[in-house]
Amino acid sequence: MTDTVHILIDRADGALQRLIGLVERRGFHIDAMTMAPEGSALAVALTVRGRDVGRSIDNLGLQIDRLVGARRISNDATFRSEAA
Amino acid sequence: MSAAAATFKPAVETAPQSGARLVVSTLEKLGVEVLFGYPGGAIMPIYDALAGSSLRHYLCRHEQGAAFAADSYARVSGKVGVCMATSGPGATNLVTGIANAMLDSIPMVCITGNVAQGVMGMDAFQEVDILGVTLPIVKHSYLVRSAADIPAVIEEAFHIARSGRPGPVLIDLPKDVQFEMTDAPRGIHLSNAIDVADAAVIDDAAAAIRAAKKPVLYIGGGVKISGAVQAVRDFAAMTGIPQVSTLNALGTIPTGQDNFLGMLGMHGTRCANEAVQESDLLIVIGARFDDRATGKLIEFAPHAGVVHFDIDPSEIGKLRKVAVGVTGDVKPNIEALNARLSSGPAIEVSEWADKWRAKAIACAFDYNAPGEGVFAPQLLNELSQKAGPSFIAACDVGQHQMWVAQYCEFSRPQAHITSGGLGSMGFGLPAGIGAKLAEPDACVVTITGDGGVMMNIQELATVNRFKIPLKIIILDNSRLGMVRQWQEFFFERNFSEVDLSDNPDFVKVAEAFGIPAFRVDARDQVSAGIDRLLATEGPILMHVIIDPNDNVWPLVPPGKNNAEMLEGAR
Ligand SMILES: Cc1ncc(C[n+]2csc(CCOP(=O)(O)OP(=O)(O)O)c2C)c(N)n1
Repeated sequence: MTDTVHILIDRADGALQRLIGLVERRGFHIDAMTMAPEGSALAVALTVRGRDVGRSIDNLGLQIDRLVGARRISNDATFRSEAA
Repeated sequence: MSAAAATFKPAVETAPQSGARLVVSTLEKLGVEVLFGYPGGAIMPIYDALAGSSLRHYLCRHEQGAAFAADSYARVSGKVGVCMATSGPGATNLVTGIANAMLDSIPMVCITGNVAQGVMGMDAFQEVDILGVTLPIVKHSYLVRSAADIPAVIEEAFHIARSGRPGPVLIDLPKDVQFEMTDAPRGIHLSNAIDVADAAVIDDAAAAIRAAKKPVLYIGGGVKISGAVQAVRDFAAMTGIPQVSTLNALGTIPTGQDNFLGMLGMHGTRCANEAVQESDLLIVIGARFDDRATGKLIEFAPHAGVVHFDIDPSEIGKLRKVAVGVTGDVKPNIEALNARLSSGPAIEVSEWADKWRAKAIACAFDYNAPGEGVFAPQLLNELSQKAGPSFIAACDVGQHQMWVAQYCEFSRPQAHITSGGLGSMGFGLPAGIGAKLAEPDACVVTITGDGGVMMNIQELATVNRFKIPLKIIILDNSRLGMVRQWQEFFFERNFSEVDLSDNPDFVKVAEAFGIPAFRVDARDQVSAGIDRLLATEGPILMHVIIDPNDNVWPLVPPGKNNAEMLEGAR
């Protein structure tokens, strides 16, 4: 089963690498990725699939939320909150 | 302590300043007093600027030593630890230290030089993409592209390192940025909002605790980090709920306190592990269900609901479903919980608590063993008793680390400095340095193995250079003891590559570094040895010969649950 996670992330050195690396390290395959500029940030949509059943998309969202510079995260295309 | 660390008068400031100068003045402004590092080509402008500053720089003899020292300084002082290295090999030598700080949530700022931006990405001399290398093991990192950003980046880095769940932050500074002159540094604004849970969530936690018949308090390193030690002690005293601790949280409840059952997990006490397995509610505070603590996770505390307090939302429900998750700074949340529980009927768990108190006495650690040889558990217990309330043990990794955790007595969490999450050999000696500099009046003892001490033995030179009055104990079994123990039980006694019987003479090694040293190799020399160690004013090393076949007990075998502890003969 795949999920799509939408992320708005500040542009900075290593920002994309940080994001993608985190998703893969936390046990998800990335099946597809789209992105577009949004002001000074990047809007990224990642279609991901857990490597095993124990991987929860909610927990992945919380992990992404911890990234400095990740401003909005949602897995249903309507952004959940405006976390600074 | 003779602080021959480079201390100079502040230089007269004239605008504009170089990036390097801004690094130093921002660190001064942030109140940094001590930093650890090692110079090299790509960070020379910063070392040049350091020579006019009030910062005390401790030149370690390996960048890994500098990172471990900064980490331990942070653990003991509660401040942000700072270390510096040059590009390439200097930066990569920091990596283990950065990972160590990440896994134990230690606030640290690491400053690395890098090659000039013009040649970055061209495999220039001593170029390594250290930002890329360290991405998985930092809380955040910066590549600074303009000198004007330096003050803001450093202040932000300090803020990120210590706020929320603390961790290491890397700042990579290309050499041209260090040289660049600027008179218009960018300003910043940081918010200091404290994360507190909703009252309703605290109510739920209180209700779950009131409803429990067999609750156990499971204390992690986050308690110390958030300054919640007193609040947790108050909770324990008020409710009488039995308590267990992770390796990293030892000392949060003083050893020997009534309802404290000791450490849980692989080398925990039988009674802590059994109480957790039988419990119907685990109140987990600032802990993350590390596998060394839980054993086989699906069989861990199988009948228990979980109330989990943690500042990091991603820890709640990560490994174990919770009944109540209380996100936010642990201190105000536990204080709120205490206030809630102090009104209304008292918590009634005395029967359950009495059972475990009796059991704790019955299965207390034994300090005796047959024979004439030195028995490390007895030595460590005596050491911690004689060292008094200011005792700090800075451990390395291995069997001795577990014996320290089991047999030393700790009265505060700062008393036990250990590489918990990463379990990195080589930590002990530099950690002792950092701890002693953070608390010069404390009785700091590095306790290390013959394997671990060799991994950063060059830091004896740092001890000697700065005359740091660190006490060092090497527990020498001429083996990689912990690995040997695993081979004995889980690899059919195939003792592959664990023999260290050709160790150097550590007394001579210490003396060659200018540090007095002596050997203890019989049980009747232990007491006098400890007295001598503690009475010596400057640094001193005690080399202790122990039996290569001694093992750490109890032991939960890998893949087993915590109730299946092995107990061995001594
Ligand atoms: C850097 C590093 N390398 C390898 C290990 C694996 N390891 C864990 S304990 C241990 C043996 C430690 O031996 P020693 O320092 O002599 O201490 P002892 O167990 O004998 O007390 C080893 C090799 C480690 N934890 N860290």
